[in-house]
Amino acid sequence: MDATLKLWSVVAIVGALNYVSRLSFIALFARRHVPPLAVRAFRYVPAAMLTALVLPMVVAAPGEPALAAMPKIVAALAAGVVAFFTHSTMKTLGVGMASLWLLQALIGRIG
Amino acid sequence: MRRFLADANFRAGFAEMMPACVAMTPFGLVCGVGAAAAGASLWGALGLSAIVFSGAAQILAVQLLAAGAPLAVIVLTCFVAGLRFVIYSAAMAPYLRSLPPRWQQGLAFLLTDQAFAAAIRRFHGGADPREGGLHFLGGGFALWLFWQAMNIAGYFVGNLIPASWSLEFAVPLCFIALLAPHFRTMPTIAAALVAGALVLALAGLPMKLNLIVAGVIGIVAGTLADFVRERWTPR
Repeated sequence: MDATLKLWSVVAIVGALNYVSRLSFIALFARRHVPPLAVRAFRYVPAAMLTALVLPMVVAAPGEPALAAMPKIVAALAAGVVAFFTHSTMKTLGVGMASLWLLQALIGRIG
Repeated sequence: MRRFLADANFRAGFAEMMPACVAMTPFGLVCGVGAAAAGASLWGALGLSAIVFSGAAQILAVQLLAAGAPLAVIVLTCFVAGLRFVIYSAAMAPYLRSLPPRWQQGLAFLLTDQAFAAAIRRFHGGADPREGGLHFLGGGFALWLFWQAMNIAGYFVGNLIPASWSLEFAVPLCFIALLAPHFRTMPTIAAALVAGALVLALAGLPMKLNLIVAGVIGIVAGTLADFVRERWTPR
């Protein structure tokens, strides 16, 4: 498939599906009965999907030396603690990035 | 448009979204860099950010496009990652029920992680639907506007940012900010543990299929744990 056509297909289909997800309960199912099992399962979507999304960005890629991923893992844990207690994106980002830079600088000095 | 710009609730919503906009700046830049790296034209990159309007879906889409994944895989992965919007939609629905359909349809487009977090706080605080709706519109619009600017900036000058800044690490951090507060109940932790273990164990799968498999099985694990907890909780 032509690359431009493929990109715009992604824009159109993913855009439409995302919009339907966003609209779902606000307009489409607002007055319809939703199966209790679906309601129960929906509750665990953020925890499962966000974890699956985040972990590969933090933990070492296959073949990458374990030491290289250490600063990221420690910084992510520190950011997680801050997020748990503050619910603030800004503070999470600040502590996470600062920890990463500090640890990378330390490792650079030792190594 | 002028009617909204003059409204106090719209303006308050817009202003209160500024810290979140600043926090999303690195993420937006990374999305723009990704679109450029995947070979998208400026219009293609803008189409992604303006229409898809979801950082997670955009990052996944450009990575999968760059890897040459088939359209069906890209669409499915982005859809499953975007399923969390269904939950936001369900949580918002009671507060928006009394608004006209056109308002519901408009506000639904602006339903993002950050806008949801701000709006639900306000509605829980007892805002009335019309005022809360205008506040949500202001905040959602601010975020949409900022997101386009950051994506365009990332598309053009993102490659000037030194690699040593590890800017791409801002992406998992933004998700950690959303994820960590969930870890308060046993089934949620079970869902995350199963999804996390699987996504790493199946890292060898092509086209990020490990993400869908781990996510779906994690949701099932959380749901099962929920049933178990219900059974064992003394009535």
